[in-house]
Amino acid sequence: MGRRDFLRNLAITSGAITIGGSLLAACGGSSSTESSGLSIGTPQNPVKLPVTTDAIADGLPNESGTLEVLNWADYQNPESIAIFEKEFGCKVVTSIYDTEEAAIAKLRNGTFKPDLILGMTDTGLAKLIAADLLQPLNKSYIPNFGNVISGLRSPYYDLDSQYTVPYFIYGNGIGYRTDRIDKNAFASNGYDTLWDSQFKGKAGVLDSYRDTLTMAMFRAGNFDANTADAAIIQKAGDDLVALREATNPKVDILAYTEIPSGNRDINFTWSGDLFTALQYLPENEAPDVLGFWYPEKTVAKNDFMCITKSAKAPVLAHQLINFLSDTDNALLNREYVGYQPALESITVDLLISSGTIPESLIDALVTPEKYEAGLAQVSLEPAVDALWLDQWTRFTAG
Amino acid sequence: MAHATNHRNLSLKFLIWGYIIWSLVPVLIAVIYSFNDGRSRTVWQGFSLRWWITDPYASIFRNDETRNAISNSLVLAFATILVVTPLGIALAIGSQRIRGRSANFVQGLTSTPLITPEIVVGAALLLTFTRLFTAVPLGFVAQLLGNVTFSLASVVVIVRARLVSIGASFEEAARDLGATRWQALRFVLLPMLWPSVMASLVVVFATVIDDFVITSFLSAGVSSETVPLRIYSSVRGGATPALNALATLLVLTSFAVLIIGLFGLSTWRKRHGERGGLRAALADVTQINS
Amino acid sequence: MARPMDTLYRWLTQIKLNKSPRLWAGFAIPGTVWLIVLFAIPFYAVACVAFGTIDPVFRDAVPQWNPLSWNFVQAQQIFTSLATGPLQGVAIRTVVYVVCAMSLSFVIGFPIAYFLARHAGKRKILLLVLIIVPFWVNYLMRMLAWVNLLSVDGLFTRFMRIFGVNYNWLDGSPITVILGLVYGYIPFLILPLYATLERLDWRLVDAARDLGANSRQAFRLVTLPMSKAGLVAAGILIALPMFGDYYTNDLLSRSPSTEMIGNQIDFFLNASSQPQNGALLVLALSLFLLLFMSFYLRSTRQQTRQVTR
Repeated sequence: MGRRDFLRNLAITSGAITIGGSLLAACGGSSSTESSGLSIGTPQNPVKLPVTTDAIADGLPNESGTLEVLNWADYQNPESIAIFEKEFGCKVVTSIYDTEEAAIAKLRNGTFKPDLILGMTDTGLAKLIAADLLQPLNKSYIPNFGNVISGLRSPYYDLDSQYTVPYFIYGNGIGYRTDRIDKNAFASNGYDTLWDSQFKGKAGVLDSYRDTLTMAMFRAGNFDANTADAAIIQKAGDDLVALREATNPKVDILAYTEIPSGNRDINFTWSGDLFTALQYLPENEAPDVLGFWYPEKTVAKNDFMCITKSAKAPVLAHQLINFLSDTDNALLNREYVGYQPALESITVDLLISSGTIPESLIDALVTPEKYEAGLAQVSLEPAVDALWLDQWTRFTAG
Repeated sequence: MAHATNHRNLSLKFLIWGYIIWSLVPVLIAVIYSFNDGRSRTVWQGFSLRWWITDPYASIFRNDETRNAISNSLVLAFATILVVTPLGIALAIGSQRIRGRSANFVQGLTSTPLITPEIVVGAALLLTFTRLFTAVPLGFVAQLLGNVTFSLASVVVIVRARLVSIGASFEEAARDLGATRWQALRFVLLPMLWPSVMASLVVVFATVIDDFVITSFLSAGVSSETVPLRIYSSVRGGATPALNALATLLVLTSFAVLIIGLFGLSTWRKRHGERGGLRAALADVTQINS
Repeated sequence: MARPMDTLYRWLTQIKLNKSPRLWAGFAIPGTVWLIVLFAIPFYAVACVAFGTIDPVFRDAVPQWNPLSWNFVQAQQIFTSLATGPLQGVAIRTVVYVVCAMSLSFVIGFPIAYFLARHAGKRKILLLVLIIVPFWVNYLMRMLAWVNLLSVDGLFTRFMRIFGVNYNWLDGSPITVILGLVYGYIPFLILPLYATLERLDWRLVDAARDLGANSRQAFRLVTLPMSKAGLVAAGILIALPMFGDYYTNDLLSRSPSTEMIGNQIDFFLNASSQPQNGALLVLALSLFLLLFMSFYLRSTRQQTRQVTR
């Protein structure tokens, strides 16, 4: 069954999707239910995103006043921001988002009206573009763009980096307490440890439907992180329901505080969280109590910075992107955030030699090889996305 | 027999004091931990004021975001009061005096928000402001409209109770003495409504400053973040005792307003020869007669 | 907009114009219009979103403002899901938690209200004030207090360890959520209960005792029937917000295994890209609660009438 046939079947079998499909057909004039018009780049088919508006002109003065940032919690160093504010004579205010999909919905309905968005990934980019929420960057303001990891200067999701500049890189895996779980527990199928009922009440998974469903798929040996196969998606949902029954995991993005505080023994999360966690360790706790299992085949990716079309301070937004792409600033930012900046100069060796990374977390660092081997996670076609979300609701509805 | 009653009374006394301890001591502990010297909200590491004032970044009075939340909360509370008080007084008077089917309609409409779960009001307003009245931006304006809507009913209830207890005789007397309906209202009734107005101010202030659900549904990021929103979003994170300090500040603010209100109410009563004092003032505010 | 407002005004003012002068209607109009625009119409908006369509790309809701073109496909899915599908667990859990929390609140709250109303003696004002205090302590603060006590190294958890109880209170335990609901809402029960019991004519109970009824009989045959309306009203008063609660759960558990319907509404409206489902759940919850609400409004209206007379 071809992809197109599959989607058509879907449209017939699922009521909700039939509406979507017929609406689309009515609006677009085309009878195809597959093409939603989303520009989805994959490593095999990189995409040059459409541009509907011009970037700002060269050499504009910095705006005075406020720069509004939308970011994940604890994903920027207040100290770095304070330096930026001083240097550019402005005020930076930051709103927080918890999930990418909610953030996009709120950007569309006007809840959030930031100038600059930090930490979005390619799973949300196609929608941001389709909703016409972003403006193309003017690189003349971002000389530090040259510092970005060379492989990410024209990424598959945004050829020529028209809209995005990479921020941090990380991989998906399992964070754990080394005082409660032995490293060897992850020797065979490491994910099974998460399903082990002895960690009931002490486990957590990411509140991110793409990441957590994908994790369940990996556990079952299905390594297409963007699958459209309804059976595989359904199986992942089943497995997560089984996980819920086995360990009753928390579903949030707080592994970085909950593991160090001892509230959790094990948590499926982003590798960078464990470095953030170092800061949250109680004062008398040794750092090597934190461990991370980095699966051999897993999602490894970067998130990025981008500027909204409606930005009121686009020049300052460019300046902050440039500021954060400077090696020294990025290192300072990392001290608080913990994640690895997506800069060529900040190598794994450099980080290890800084002496802040305990032996037990060396494995959580994303080396170029790991990054290269990482599986991409891209935007999904809406009809497929619906399948994923339905399974996610099954899991979270308990 | 008497012995058994005493026995029961004793166990009831036990229960009530147990309840009071259960309901208050955890809060007191949380207040105490706002003075913890360490970063922990659960392990005591000595006394300090660092989370209140001394820490240059994290203490509540020196952290920009916290200060922003405090000022947002205060602005929202005062703005709501400004709008809801006249609206509520007028509605209370009007709804008490119209008759017939429209009276039932108005009464039904005013009482329903009082018992509708906040999440329903919040959700309905969110969908309204994002899809129907799209001219209303989420954030302060939407939060103001939402809070007025939600607290209107409590003003009406408080003022109506006072109207009922005043009765019609004063106004009638004024009318007999030649006052117009409007004059009777302006110079006789309105001044007598003062206690209920004060009680409404206190109740609305406390409601809005504590409100979480509606304010959060209608917020637009950090620009309209209030203190409860800030508390809520950090309880789950790795928050420091600054969180306790912030929550304590919130509690202190509502208590300060409550005490000022009670004091004002009982003074007013004393001055106007009404009986009751503190007890009546409490009844005004809680709408429960003791 | 001029015409509907005109009609409304005429409607409000002309009915029984002889008995209700324009002046009073004029007083009621601003507030009434406010509530129509910002309370009644929003419910219509919820219905229009619930019975609208979905944007194919963003899965965002596209409201259908014309009721004649409402479509019920998604509604059917969600209601089926609540009745027999994935959301069934949420529906059942919500009812079970609320019923448990209510019962427990009554078991604790009734004797306290009773004692306050009858036997508090000269300490009455002090006790009353102490019982009113939690009313004025921010709800989140009260939950935060327990989060601190119940966390792994919290005082209460450490205290319980002395007795060999080693329980993860905050790991998604239904007990914590139910107790949290009790803790949160019981002040709102005790006061109305107290008000009801305070108003009772206790001479009737004394008379029953004099006539030979034992205390249990007097309670069952006199106290209870006399206070029934007040008890039910007070119960409804705390049941309604409990049914819509999501923050207690979120703060004390945050686990899928304790999700209530409020959490699902919050999730769909605030944390997902599918507001239509949220609108449908709001509608389902409102319809369910309408029963309680109409009952409550009827009983309070009767009470108001008695007071007004």
